[in-house]
Amino acid sequence: MHVLPAGTPPALDLRGICKAFDGKPALDDAHFSLAWGEVHALVGENGAGKSTLMNVATGVYAADHGSQIVDGSELSPRSPQEATDAGIGMVHQHFRLVDRFSVAENVLLTLGGRVRSLRAAADLIAAKAREVGLDVDPFRQVSTLSIAERQRVEILKVLLLGARIIILDEPTAVLTEEESSALLVFTRRLADADHAVVLITHKLKEVAAHTDRITVMRHGKTVLAGAPMAEVSEAEVGRLIVGEAVVAAARPQSRPGEERLVVRGLGFDGQKRGGAVELTLRAGEVLGLAGVGGNGQEQLVACLAGTLAASAGSFTLSGVDVTRATPSRRRDLGLRVIPASRFATGLVRQMSIAENLAMTNVRTGHFGGRWFLDRRRMKAAALAAIERFDIRGAGPNRRTELLSGGNAQKVLLARELDDGLKVLIAHSPSRGLDVKASEFVRDAIRAAVEAGAACLLISEDLQEVMGLSHRVAVMNGGVIAGNRPIADVTPEWIGALLTGHA
Amino acid sequence: MDFLIGWLAIIPSYTTPLLLASVGLILSERAGVLNLGAEGMMALGAMTAAITVLAGHDPWMGIAAGAAAAVAVSLLFGLAVVVFRADQTLAGLAVVAIGLGVTGTVGRPYVQQTFGGLPKLGDLLALDPANPLGRIIAAQDVISLAAPILALAAWWWLMKTQAGLRLRAAGENPAAADVAGVDIQLTQLAAVLFAGLMCGLAGAYLSVATSHVWVENMVAARGWIAVALVILAKWSPARAVIGAMLFGSADALVPRLQAIGADVPVYLMMMLPYALTLFVLFLTSLSGRGSGEPASLGAVYLRQDKH
Amino acid sequence: MPSTAYLMRRQEPGRLRTALSYSIGLIIGLALSAAILVAVGVPAGDLVDEFLVETFLTSDGLAQTVTAAGPLILVGLSSALAMRIRFWNIGVEGQMWFGAIAGTFVALNHIGPAALRLPLGLALAFAAGALFIWPCLVLKRRFGISEVISTLLASNMAFLLVQHLLFGVWRDPANSFPITVEFPPESQFAALGWGQTHTGVILSLVAAVVAWFLLERSPVGYYADAVGHNPAAATETGLPVKAIVLGMTLASGGLSGLAGALVLSGTEHRLSQALGNGYLFSAIVIAYLARSKPTWVVVASIALAAIYTAGNVLKVFYSVSEAVIVLAQGTVLMSILIAQFFSHYSIHFSENTRS
Repeated sequence: MHVLPAGTPPALDLRGICKAFDGKPALDDAHFSLAWGEVHALVGENGAGKSTLMNVATGVYAADHGSQIVDGSELSPRSPQEATDAGIGMVHQHFRLVDRFSVAENVLLTLGGRVRSLRAAADLIAAKAREVGLDVDPFRQVSTLSIAERQRVEILKVLLLGARIIILDEPTAVLTEEESSALLVFTRRLADADHAVVLITHKLKEVAAHTDRITVMRHGKTVLAGAPMAEVSEAEVGRLIVGEAVVAAARPQSRPGEERLVVRGLGFDGQKRGGAVELTLRAGEVLGLAGVGGNGQEQLVACLAGTLAASAGSFTLSGVDVTRATPSRRRDLGLRVIPASRFATGLVRQMSIAENLAMTNVRTGHFGGRWFLDRRRMKAAALAAIERFDIRGAGPNRRTELLSGGNAQKVLLARELDDGLKVLIAHSPSRGLDVKASEFVRDAIRAAVEAGAACLLISEDLQEVMGLSHRVAVMNGGVIAGNRPIADVTPEWIGALLTGHA
Repeated sequence: MDFLIGWLAIIPSYTTPLLLASVGLILSERAGVLNLGAEGMMALGAMTAAITVLAGHDPWMGIAAGAAAAVAVSLLFGLAVVVFRADQTLAGLAVVAIGLGVTGTVGRPYVQQTFGGLPKLGDLLALDPANPLGRIIAAQDVISLAAPILALAAWWWLMKTQAGLRLRAAGENPAAADVAGVDIQLTQLAAVLFAGLMCGLAGAYLSVATSHVWVENMVAARGWIAVALVILAKWSPARAVIGAMLFGSADALVPRLQAIGADVPVYLMMMLPYALTLFVLFLTSLSGRGSGEPASLGAVYLRQDKH
Repeated sequence: MPSTAYLMRRQEPGRLRTALSYSIGLIIGLALSAAILVAVGVPAGDLVDEFLVETFLTSDGLAQTVTAAGPLILVGLSSALAMRIRFWNIGVEGQMWFGAIAGTFVALNHIGPAALRLPLGLALAFAAGALFIWPCLVLKRRFGISEVISTLLASNMAFLLVQHLLFGVWRDPANSFPITVEFPPESQFAALGWGQTHTGVILSLVAAVVAWFLLERSPVGYYADAVGHNPAAATETGLPVKAIVLGMTLASGGLSGLAGALVLSGTEHRLSQALGNGYLFSAIVIAYLARSKPTWVVVASIALAAIYTAGNVLKVFYSVSEAVIVLAQGTVLMSILIAQFFSHYSIHFSENTRS
């Protein structure tokens, strides 16, 4: 961090910001101060209000209360446009790029009247890219770019708009380790060139070495404001983030039994040439499948669940070949799935908790048989599940879209972890959940496995994989790059397989 | 040969309404608004134009009035879907009902009254009727000549100008466009009004330039074919020129065959444009390449949506 | 436009707000429709008489309304079934034409024993309607072709087919109009002895009861909702997605086909060109007003039937085109669509500490 002359106003100063959505407070008297020339980490759990606070700063949301000072003068941007004019730029977690446009068209769109033609926009991109040392081809269509490349485009867009305050929302969440460190080195360069950078993140460890100060938020409040990174301990920050102590998950205390899921030579689209998936999963065992997202996990889950036809190979459930079986047949054999995206393939958001819980069992005649639907029985079953899984603040008739992420996930767990469970496919089961909800999910999985189920745990969260699994496999390019008992697993081994160097 | 020339001569008059309407719809859908109301807007344009001319006004006045009527109903549609976020499919169907309902009610006294329509080029220029080319040109009018040029101009504006880029962004990714300073609602509303203008013109052309009369059900599902043309043209006004010519040619075949007294099952022949539309839609889907459908077509955009 | 005003989707609109915005939309739509009628020359004072007294409060009028409700219930159910699984059936009129052709075929060619002729005609009409919609479903599922367009275009082709038959083989040579001869009595519904009412009206009520049972009391409606809202989740949880989609869609087509035969065997007693006019919009308006619930489909159908009855009277006495019914339907639909905004969204004004 530069030594700035005394009395230099902060780049950005947010004071007493309040913001509620539909009556629920998302920000409650939040503070944040950013100095020129620094890289500032803004950390907290999901839902702590980090992104919301920065969205207020960039005029995406209008604050209900509070004031904002930009480089010494009061300014509460009432639109993203006003924030841009004030030199504030944000790279959102979900990129704001038009996929079907080229890089240059996207930049032309963003720059509006400031550039005349596509040609001029392309020249500007090339010049800026050279200046700051980012590699981008202005004429590529965005849909053909990798995630890291799209992120570079977003950063260039923000810089071309004249931003000197740059906010990056979870920038490393979607990157490989190598890409992440390149990005962090780049943010340091930006800060040194008289910009100010905010890194919104929950991966404190990753950014610690690259940031100057840290602000921690919890439940919409600022609980640690701008402490120098050198002066805080990781444990202290962890406590501030969570608010209460959380014990680490332990592995299920069970011994592997009979073979439950055997996958032989499974092929699907997007796999690297000649590749195939080989897996064996036993009762009472958790097989952790680590890997960077987008390496075939989605397809593997879809093949196993029965929503995607495998292009090659076969697999069996408890010895029965189900490669071509319908999803209902697989369920009859004890397959249960927790998909990565709850509302995409797991729950029906417009339907109630009771209806979602009954989805797998109406078919089997559990709620009134073939011709009748016993809604009273569905409701009673839902009440029991709400009790057992501690689904908070919700009656059986509440639509699942109104639930928090954690409670919606509990509905899914309550449905999938039923008596018939033999093989559980859990894909990123705790993604997007806060610490307590994540713990609940892991406890539930552990209990199911201890009761004799087999679990294929597919996750990008290495700690989760290491904490729960008896064996760990790594997925890369749509194939299993390696497979070891937990005792032999080292972070180095996983890291090497993830990046494809082993 | 005579048959061929006669057929070629009337193809543009069958192509023009389809082309005008589909170019309008393409701009609306490129901005993200699914617009199924074409059939109703065209009917409104046709009837309003006809009764304006029957009231003693110039054909051009009639066309302007027809366009204005369709713009008025698309303002209603635009307010419903852009401002009040109504379901675009249902609101489009409501526009069809309103258009057919108004024309059936208001237009009833004017049915079957013929009038002098838009002059053909043959009336304006001295063309040699013995020359086949002369005969074909003589059967054209100003609008049928202007329509393809208009379509290409729309393509150029959409694909090559900054304003066109902003409109496309609204239909592809409204959140990104919003951040870039595009007023989504204003853009969509303008696009909807333009679609109304074009559908109104298309309808007015049917009554004032082609038939010189108003009859109920005059549009005869041409509005729906225009809706299908948007998909066939993969949302490109330039491709719409080719598509409209294809359907115009098929549509023009029946009256020509009737005119030369060929013994054909007329009603079965009249199915040709519909069957052709379905068949070409089927072929397009087989091609496997991207459909070109705007990514956010029909979606409701709210800036304050919290995710 | 002040950028401090913004919209938010209401998570839970609440029953009162939903009911209120719906009713206000309905009332405004009806008021506008009444204003249109007055504008085209119906004396305002006669409106209540024509639309309430003459449709519900006189025996003849009520009989007419009930008769008109028969086919409306069937097309309303047809549209409701399709909407439940998010399939836009815009081919209601085409399916009616197909059903009418099937019914006419059985009646004119004396197919099967006389005692079974009516049921046979109705069954074939149902099958014809289902046959009409089936390719549209295949085009949508396999080839991604919008069913809005395929059903609508096929509908136009069906009408041309009817014209082809009416101007050709089926034309009654003794008549100057393109219509068929009258159906033999065994192909007609029995009159109930009250105005024009016939046993076909009872059939449509039976269809409504069956639909109600399937959608509200059996797993079918529950499956359909899951499939309609989230087909991926329904597939993954092992629901019979294909069977539900196929069954609901074919039933939707079949019910409209049945409606076509019902009109012929019930009131028209012959095939002409004037069968399906306006039924498409009626079907959509009924299903939308009823929110795809069979019970409410019956209620909405009877209300709309009254408008049909009144429309026929207006046509005779005030020479108002029956197109005014279509106009009224469009107006009501549009006004409710707009009114829903006030239950789906809330407008907020954020309060900045300074402005």
